[in-house]
Amino acid sequence: MAKIESSEYSSLNKVIGWFLTLRWIACGGVFFSLIIIDFSFHFRLPYRILFVLNGILFLENVLLTMYYTLVKGKNLSRKELRWYFNIQVCLDYVLLLMMGYFTGFLENPILYYFVFHIMLTAFIFSNRVVFLYVGSLIVVLISVMLAEYYGIINHYPLFYSEGRQSYNDLMLIRGTGLCTTLIISSYLITGIKNRIEERGKRVEVELNRYKSLDTIKSNFILQVIHEIRGPLAALKGFHEMILKGITGETGSKTIEVIQKANRRTENLIMMVDEMIDYAYMRAKEDVQYTKTDIALWYAIDTNLSMFSTMAMQKGIRFSSNCSREISLVANQDLINIILSNLISNAIKYSSSKTVVNINAEREQNVVHIIVSNEGIGIKPEELDDIFEEFYRTRKAREIERDGTGLGLPIVHKAVESLNGKITVYSEEGERTAFHIYIPVSSEANTDKPLVGGNNEQLTDSHHR
Amino acid sequence: MNNSRILIIDDDQDILETMEALLEFEGFTIRLADNVEDGIEMIGEYNPGVILLDVMFPEKKTLGFEAAEEIKKTYPHVPVFVITAINREYAFDLEKKDVKADEFFNKPIDYDRLVKTIKQYVS
Repeated sequence: MAKIESSEYSSLNKVIGWFLTLRWIACGGVFFSLIIIDFSFHFRLPYRILFVLNGILFLENVLLTMYYTLVKGKNLSRKELRWYFNIQVCLDYVLLLMMGYFTGFLENPILYYFVFHIMLTAFIFSNRVVFLYVGSLIVVLISVMLAEYYGIINHYPLFYSEGRQSYNDLMLIRGTGLCTTLIISSYLITGIKNRIEERGKRVEVELNRYKSLDTIKSNFILQVIHEIRGPLAALKGFHEMILKGITGETGSKTIEVIQKANRRTENLIMMVDEMIDYAYMRAKEDVQYTKTDIALWYAIDTNLSMFSTMAMQKGIRFSSNCSREISLVANQDLINIILSNLISNAIKYSSSKTVVNINAEREQNVVHIIVSNEGIGIKPEELDDIFEEFYRTRKAREIERDGTGLGLPIVHKAVESLNGKITVYSEEGERTAFHIYIPVSSEANTDKPLVGGNNEQLTDSHHR
Repeated sequence: MNNSRILIIDDDQDILETMEALLEFEGFTIRLADNVEDGIEMIGEYNPGVILLDVMFPEKKTLGFEAAEEIKKTYPHVPVFVITAINREYAFDLEKKDVKADEFFNKPIDYDRLVKTIKQYVS
C-alpha cells in the first residue's frame, strides 16, 4: 500500500481536524437549538427522533475521534484514509438529510448547511466525486420533495401544518433555490480549489527547477576542477621529470626554461583555484559550511610553508606572531582561502629582502589577524576598488601578468561567510596591512554584534 | 615486510606516465591500470604494497569513491591512497561522501610527501 507523502499527510490531518471540530459544534448546536425550540416556540416537531439523530451524530464523532487518536501516530495508507473519509461523509450526509426531513424539510434552512459539507468534501475528494455528491444530493432532495408532494411519505411541518397547499406551492420555489445554491457553490468551490492546486503545482515545478539548477552548478564546479586541474597536474609532472633528471642530461638553459614553465603552470593552477573558489561561493550563497576547531597558529604555519619557496626566491622572511591558545570554530577551507590569498599577495607585492608579518590576537570574542608587508602599497584612490571582482591595480598588473583579480573578492566573501570583517590600510610605495576580524565561534556573533558591525562599509581606507 | 610494489590506477595516461617515471626514479616497482576494473583485477596476483587511486572518472559522473570502498572491502590490508584533483573540502561536501581511504593527495602531487608517506606504509 502506498504511504502518503508527509506534506499531503499533514494537510489531510488538518482537514480531519476540521471535520471533527465542526461536528462537535454541530452536535452542540443542534442539541441546544432543539431544547430552546421545544421550550419556547412550541413547534410540533418529532423531538424524540431528532434527539436520537443528534445522539447518533454524537456517537459518530466519538467513534471517529477515538479511531483518529488511536491511529494518529501511524502513517495511514491512502486507502485506509479514504475509507475513513468516505464513512464520515456518508454518515454526515444521511444525518443532515434526515434532520432536515424531520424538521420541515424544504421549510427549514438547515438544508443549506449542505454547502459547508460540500466545501469540506471538496478539500479531500476529486472534483468528480464532489459533482457526483452534489448530483446525488439533488436527486434525493427532488425525490423526497416529490414523495412529499404526492403524499407517499409524511411531511413533518415546521410552519405550514394547517394549510398543506401553501407548503406545496412554496416547495417549488424553495427547492429550486436550494438546488441552484448547491450547484453554484459546488462549481465555485471546485473552481477555487483548482486554482489553488494549479498555483501549488507551479510553485513545486519552480522549486524543483531551482533545486536541479543548484545540482547542475555543483556538478559543473566538480567537473571544472577535474577537467582543468587534472591536465595542469600532468603538465607539472612532466616538468618535474625533466627537473629531477629522470629524462637524462639537460642543459642549464633548458632547465631554466623548464623552471619558468613550471612557475607559470603553478601560477595557472592557483588562478584556476581562485576561479573555482569564486564560482563556488557565488553558486552557494546560503551554503552551511561545516565547522571544525581550528588552531590558528597551525593554520598560519601550514599556509606560510606553502609559500616558503616563493618567499625564498625573493629573499622574503616571514614573521608570525600567534599565541598557541588562539583557536576558533570555523570552516577550514575558508580560513585557508583567506590566509593563503593574503600571504601570497603579500609576497607578490613586497620588495625583495623584506619581512611579511602575520599577527593574530584575541580580542574578546573576536580574533584579529593582521597580514602586512612592505612593498608597492595601494594608492588611496584604488583602495575602494581592490575588493571589486576582477579589479587589479596598475602596479599589480605590472608585477604579475597572470592574475584573475579574484583573490581579494574571494577573501572578502570568505570573511563574510565567517561573519567577519576585513579592512585595509595602505601607504603607497611603503606598506599594506590587511586586518581581519573573525568571531571565535558563530554563536559568539549572534548575541553580540562584531566590533564595527558587518554592514558597515567594508574598506576603511586610511592614509598614514 | 618491505613491499615496494605500487599499483597506480588513473584514467589519464600522462599522469600515469609521470607518476611511473617519478616513483620508479625513487626505487619503487610500478604497475599501471587505466581503469578501476583492470586495477582491481591486478591486485590479487600483483600484491601491491600501496595502491594509488585516482577518483572521479569522467564517465562515472560521480566522484568515484566507490572504487576505493570496493578495494578496501576485498583487500582491507592494502593501503589505498586516494589521489584527486579536488583540493577543497567543500567539493567533497557537494557529493556528501564519506570516503574510506588511508591517505589523500591532491593533484598536482607533492612527490616528496608522497614518497615519504609510501615509505611509511611499506616498511
